[in-house]
Amino acid sequence: MRVKLWGTRGSVSNPSAGTRRYGGNTSCVEIRGTAGEVVILDAGFGLHWLGQRLMGEGFSSGSEAHVLLSHLHWDHIQGLPFFTPMLVEGNHICVYGPGVNGQGLKDALMCQMERAYCPVPNFFDDSIGARLTVHEFDNASFTIGGVEIRARQIHHGDAAVCLGYRIENDGGSLAYLPDVDYTDPEHLESALDLAEGVDLLIHDSLNREDEEPVKGHATDADAVRVGEQAGVEQVMLFHHHPDRSDDEIDAVVASYAGHRIRVSAAAQGDEIRLSS
Amino acid sequence: MQLPQVLVKSGDPIYIAGHMGAPKVPTIDHQPTDATPTMKILFWGVRGSFPVAEAYATGYGGNTPCLEIDAAGQSIIIDAGTGIRGAGQALVARGVEQIDLLLSHTHWDHIQGFPYFPPLDEESVTVRVHGLRHSSPSLHEVFSGQQQAPFSPRPLAKVRAKLEFIEHEDGDQFHLGETKVTCRRLNHPGITAGYRVESGGHVLAYICDTDLDGDVLHVDGLDQAVDDAGWLEQLRQNARDLGHSADVMVCDTFFLPEEFEPLWGHSCPDEFLRLAAEVDAAGIWLFHHRPGRADSDMDGILERYRSAAVAEGVQLHAAREGVEVSL
Repeated sequence: MRVKLWGTRGSVSNPSAGTRRYGGNTSCVEIRGTAGEVVILDAGFGLHWLGQRLMGEGFSSGSEAHVLLSHLHWDHIQGLPFFTPMLVEGNHICVYGPGVNGQGLKDALMCQMERAYCPVPNFFDDSIGARLTVHEFDNASFTIGGVEIRARQIHHGDAAVCLGYRIENDGGSLAYLPDVDYTDPEHLESALDLAEGVDLLIHDSLNREDEEPVKGHATDADAVRVGEQAGVEQVMLFHHHPDRSDDEIDAVVASYAGHRIRVSAAAQGDEIRLSS
Repeated sequence: MQLPQVLVKSGDPIYIAGHMGAPKVPTIDHQPTDATPTMKILFWGVRGSFPVAEAYATGYGGNTPCLEIDAAGQSIIIDAGTGIRGAGQALVARGVEQIDLLLSHTHWDHIQGFPYFPPLDEESVTVRVHGLRHSSPSLHEVFSGQQQAPFSPRPLAKVRAKLEFIEHEDGDQFHLGETKVTCRRLNHPGITAGYRVESGGHVLAYICDTDLDGDVLHVDGLDQAVDDAGWLEQLRQNARDLGHSADVMVCDTFFLPEEFEPLWGHSCPDEFLRLAAEVDAAGIWLFHHRPGRADSDMDGILERYRSAAVAEGVQLHAAREGVEVSL
């Protein structure tokens, strides 16, 4: 499978000269299965640019995309109103994610489209644009074509529910833990379960150990520790703090040079191939 | 996040000639001196619709709308797009404790930076948010809604700064220190205000977002006794009132004529050049750039309208993140 990073930044977009290389768009990762399945992890502003690429590839009437949401903080859903394939009649877009506070996932996502905030046509209305299906779950295992997916709850501060994902296809595997904290050792269990032996662990690294932590997030050291314990091939630091500059991220990565696990940092536009 | 790296004065011929590459002037001097100009305007976000972190847009900038105005020591912010984060870092660094935010409207690209506005973490700071009257939901409810669970980790009620929401009527004038502000309704979906900010004889007009000359009436909640044509004429008059004799007119030029979508509520440079000439404004600043607009496109637009601007006797600029205009 191919993995492409369209948005790597946490909390809020930061387009600036100092963040050009690792990127300023909020979270979005594209996965292409070997049979062409389109699976998308999170819908930050990176999703818009992925949508433009899909349209350029002829993603029109009858095409299908699957968007897996980790949780509903803005930086993980704010790209949806600007995802052009959603506006094309005949397309089928499936959105998956957790329900919240007794409010259904679909109702929660529709709040983003309210007229006070958003002038974009409400594509949740079936008469507008693509057919949209919403699947709500807390823990689940299912397949999309040949792509195997497992979702489990991970701990993210006060967020009602946050999901991590494990994705396997054609012998390659990755785990996606974009927003996670380990304030209680019990929180490690589901993270280790999802990450067990994967080729690539994409992991929250918003905080640094020598800084005042932002609640609900992990440090690069947490990411590497989870990677080691789960026996992964490569740890990719993700969900960079909005103020973290390219040079600072370089320094974080350099501090793991020679480490027995390969440690990299997610850079917008990078593409990785995973196979057996 | 660093302070903007480009410092260009209004009227700088190099700037008017278009994109300059990436000159490096590390900081902006905000220390008052005897020579402090009466009004300084700093562009922190110039992009429309959503923030654009793409290599092609790094020259003009990808943050959504935010202007910082220093009017004889009064700190005024216009709009709370993602650019407001940098503006807030600068305000906190300078120890500013009274901030007035003039909000054009509540679409995402004009409010999405607010939860990340650093002065909200300061107990000593008061932030007053000004907008037009919003009956339901109120301005306060719109801002609370943005920061509610499950969408935001921090409820509005938990910010440390003192927050006030002030809803004005169309045509209201109010004073912020010595600065006079006028707000008028514009033609854009929902409830949108343009602002005229006057200080020491200098005038900034912020006319964004709006469809200036289109035939479609976009706005919500108008008095039904007046027909659409009557309202369209009134809203055009509002824009004239805001822009009259302005030194700087910040314009919604999301479209070019060949791209115009009548239902979106945005304008082209052509309409604003005509407006500026009609109301005797000195210069227009193209603003709210379309997300797909590359730096080279922006340079091309300046080139395309150069002779028209000269013919109308209007200075033509394109707003660019980090640019400061001193009046």
